[in-house]
Amino acid sequence: MISGIPKRPPVPPQDLPTQDMPASFNDIEIENNNAQRLPLLLLLDTSSSMAGEPIRLLNEALASWGHEIRDDPALGNSVEIALVTFGGAGIAIWQGPHELAPGAPVSPFVPAQLFQPPRLAACGVTLLTEAVETAIPLVAARKTELRRKGLQYYRPQVCLVTDGLPTDTAGRVTSAWRRLIPVLAAEQQAKRFRFYAFGIGGISEYGQQVLRELAPTYHATLQGFPFRDLLQTMSASAGAEQRGAEEETFEQLFARFKTQRSAWDA
Amino acid sequence: MTGRKVRLNGRPVVLLDPPLGSGLEAAVHGVEGADELVVKVYHEPDAAREHRLRRMLSLSPLAGRPVGSGQPPELAWPVGLAYTADGTFLGYGMGRYAGPEHVQLTGLFSRDQRLRRFPEKADWRFLLGVCWNLAFMTARLHHEGLVIGDFSAKNVVVDQRGFATFLDCDSIGFTDPVTGEAFPASLHTPDYAAPERLAGAPGSAHSDDFALAVLIYQLLSAGYHPFGGVPRDSEDDVQISDNITASRCFVVRPESVYLPRGVIDPTVLPPAVLELARQTFGPGMRDVTLRPSARQWLEALEQARAAGAVTTCPSRPRHTHSTHLARCPWCDRARLTGHDAFNPPSAPPAPGPDPRLDFPEFPPEWLKVIAVVSAVLLVIMLLASVR
Repeated sequence: MISGIPKRPPVPPQDLPTQDMPASFNDIEIENNNAQRLPLLLLLDTSSSMAGEPIRLLNEALASWGHEIRDDPALGNSVEIALVTFGGAGIAIWQGPHELAPGAPVSPFVPAQLFQPPRLAACGVTLLTEAVETAIPLVAARKTELRRKGLQYYRPQVCLVTDGLPTDTAGRVTSAWRRLIPVLAAEQQAKRFRFYAFGIGGISEYGQQVLRELAPTYHATLQGFPFRDLLQTMSASAGAEQRGAEEETFEQLFARFKTQRSAWDA
Repeated sequence: MTGRKVRLNGRPVVLLDPPLGSGLEAAVHGVEGADELVVKVYHEPDAAREHRLRRMLSLSPLAGRPVGSGQPPELAWPVGLAYTADGTFLGYGMGRYAGPEHVQLTGLFSRDQRLRRFPEKADWRFLLGVCWNLAFMTARLHHEGLVIGDFSAKNVVVDQRGFATFLDCDSIGFTDPVTGEAFPASLHTPDYAAPERLAGAPGSAHSDDFALAVLIYQLLSAGYHPFGGVPRDSEDDVQISDNITASRCFVVRPESVYLPRGVIDPTVLPPAVLELARQTFGPGMRDVTLRPSARQWLEALEQARAAGAVTTCPSRPRHTHSTHLARCPWCDRARLTGHDAFNPPSAPPAPGPDPRLDFPEFPPEWLKVIAVVSAVLLVIMLLASVR
């Protein structure tokens, strides 16, 4: 729904070879069937405040991170990536570089080996609340799909990145995000996914408060637009998940990331 | 980029930044002017680790093993302790076994990684050799009374010739021969943890034998974990460790789980090796004394590698398999799933398909071409003979 980005038709289910996906898709799917999967959903702010340098940095970081994760022997055939962006006039769901039509009956999760990021553009409003509400069922649906395929998965990760305040469709700041607090708390309690929230750029005090309340343990405010560090954080967390780390370890790692980012380099 | 100055064995060295890698417990840094060395710096160094490493420095396990020229050691054993200039303990130095020469075992489970990181000959025969090396390393360590503890596909690297090196030696369990002090192996990776470890027991030779069995199974079966698959009609998250705890192993109890497409039949393992796998993942789950030892694995693998025990497939490159199978299992699987576990999707096709086989679910383009060409030839021949 982001203006200026050409839409692609939805693609059929992922374990069939299709014309829309690379010819090797079916092949990679089978190849990765020997790995426990790790769904990773990036929930990215592409509203007008991200225009210019920030969105350029984000696009660049997504591309280089994609390469890194593919090259990692342990993460390459385990991690699968989906993108949800909030900006323009609403929410967009991306399967790799393709925007999915609303309600398309396909999963946006793509094996890391085949991940190609979209060229994101920034404009419009910040429907953060609706974006989170879009992401939660996508993760749940992917887990169901994986189980049906006989595949195991590690706890998925959802990573929210924003530099602003949640707004409504008219761009007015709202407090609708409060309804997410109990939902996210319940999801975390049930260990359905890990939820990380990052405030970047010049996020305001109120913006930070939103993230604190949505992700009481795993929220951070970062100077500038360190997308690369942030995405590497997601890789490190994925590695820790595979390693079977205890919750306490994730907390320590996250705390260390906030103060000493180079320790996350992997 | 250069980073901080530390003292390694009393000698000043400069650590390189950023670290080569960073884990849950430590970051590993290169050393300026010493390519063969790395320093593992703990995030939270403490006196207990320092003491443990100090005792480790007084030992040299596997030192008696004759190694060929250029063969890497089987253990990245500590070579010295690292301190800050003012004497605060930081971590330890060890040999550097990093890419591209040394690759995590995980890299052998996926064709993509294997093709990119290993030489042409990284076929099933090569993987069998890696298994033998792992079993040999484990048997020798156990013989010397050491426990690997955190034995996993991430903690072992393999070089281009298939020689294995175990990396995180600071977690190895041992008893100090001088003082008698025991240093148990407390770390584990859930996907490779024996059921008793998941229930809280410390590492033991038996739990190493379990991890060894899983790694061998994965290496020989195109990377499939023996505790993969989900229980039928499951509505819950089920991970590998859950299946280990519940003894749900498709090698022993195929009915216990629903498996993903492409899982290779356990009979791809040579019979003696498969027998040990069944023993480990069957009776050996509950009773560790029934679990085959590393030495038993070594014997079975020796037999599996003997002259004439492995054959090369005439049809497709990089296909080798145990001679107990009459047909190439990798060709069969490629026909059934469209996925060749050893050749890239674009690899040039081999001669025509075996006519005795079922037609593949998804006939590749080249099969169609061959079918059309053969049909045309047949018609021409028929016409010629009629005339």
